[in-house]
Amino acid sequence: MEMKLRYFGQLQEATGKKEEILTDSFESLGNLRSFLLKRYPKLNHVHFKMAQENKIDIDSSPLRGNLIDLLPPFSGG
Amino acid sequence: MIMETRYQRHIQLSEVGPNGQKKIKKAKVLVIGAGGLGCPVLQYLTAAGVGTLGIMDHDHVSLSNLQRQILFNENDLGKNKVLRAKKYLKTLNPDVKVLTFPFALTHENAEQYISIFDIIIDGTDNFYTRYLISDFCILLNKVMIYGALYKFEGQVSVFNYNKGPSYRCLFPYPPHVGEIPNCSEVGVLGVVPGIIGVYQATEAIKVILGLGEVLSGKLLCVNLLSHQNTLLDFERNQKEIDQIKKQGKAIPIENQDCFVDFELSLFQLSSEEKIKWIDVREDYELPRVSHLNPLSCSVSLDLLTGSRQKIIAFCQTGTRSRAFVKKMKNKGVGNCFSLIEGAAELNEWVKKNMNYNGTKI
Repeated sequence: MEMKLRYFGQLQEATGKKEEILTDSFESLGNLRSFLLKRYPKLNHVHFKMAQENKIDIDSSPLRGNLIDLLPPFSGG
Repeated sequence: MIMETRYQRHIQLSEVGPNGQKKIKKAKVLVIGAGGLGCPVLQYLTAAGVGTLGIMDHDHVSLSNLQRQILFNENDLGKNKVLRAKKYLKTLNPDVKVLTFPFALTHENAEQYISIFDIIIDGTDNFYTRYLISDFCILLNKVMIYGALYKFEGQVSVFNYNKGPSYRCLFPYPPHVGEIPNCSEVGVLGVVPGIIGVYQATEAIKVILGLGEVLSGKLLCVNLLSHQNTLLDFERNQKEIDQIKKQGKAIPIENQDCFVDFELSLFQLSSEEKIKWIDVREDYELPRVSHLNPLSCSVSLDLLTGSRQKIIAFCQTGTRSRAFVKKMKNKGVGNCFSLIEGAAELNEWVKKNMNYNGTKI
């Protein structure tokens, strides 16, 4: 199954990517997070939430979406 | 009749009409942070005729602000943001009652000021204040309109609206110190806060009028480079909300990047309070404010460290006193604050408070 990941804010700098396609399969969002933290060690320094199919979800949820958004909180004003 | 002419284009909308305009007039909105986000919010809400607008910010106008903080101009440099913003807004629409709070939001004063208003607009540039606003909006049941940005991107959402989720439901854990670049550490294209601020003002008007679909339980992510706007749903997390309600107060976060709590405004002082004043200016700078018998900045450190009284340093504009107080804090002087206003305003304040009980050493 193909899955599109979109990186927001400083996550683009931590991964060096705006978006990417993954073909690996993961049971949960948490599993995907662990995979990404290993692949992009800089992500370990940033809190971020994940959304699937345009809904922000918790790590224990089964991964069922084709579109995953990764977003950090923003601070600037 | 004049009112009708001013708001004619609102009133012509069947979704607003004269009754909607009356609702806008009755609304009380507090804008926390008169910076990149706060400026457009204040400008549009003033133009729209919001009846009561509060502005809270401790800062002064600096040259690097002018690239995006559109209420200010070169004549405002070094001056108090809140007071300059009020001056401008009064010329735009004198019908609007503008309340000025030229100091930072703190755990001590948050309840007092947030409770006056119906809608709180978050125009801050730091997580410490943002979580503080969020927690008090939960406790006092106020709608919070969130906006924040990073370089070419922004986030917008509305919290605590019709039992909708809060900021802590979205981001329960504050980032660690240094994790997310803060306030002045990172560049931003000047128009980005303009656009995000206008989104916040739009949501405020929609909340006031009960119009359309408010961004409650939705996070709008705007990217001005790609024009890829993403709307993400999120749910209320009752556990997070109960945690704040159970505490009955805000839960302070560790990350105090960019948060300033060592400045005080004359607005926060009582004329009865005994205060040790320090004038950090040169001897020739006027006015002298001699009624207060201020100490000079060469005062011995022991005298300050041992002081039980509140110590307030002042100068001509609040800049040198701020630097002085930072230095004193580093040397372990606890009860020490910098006056936001300058000596001229302080002198006026002393004249108005003739019963003022200054302390001699």
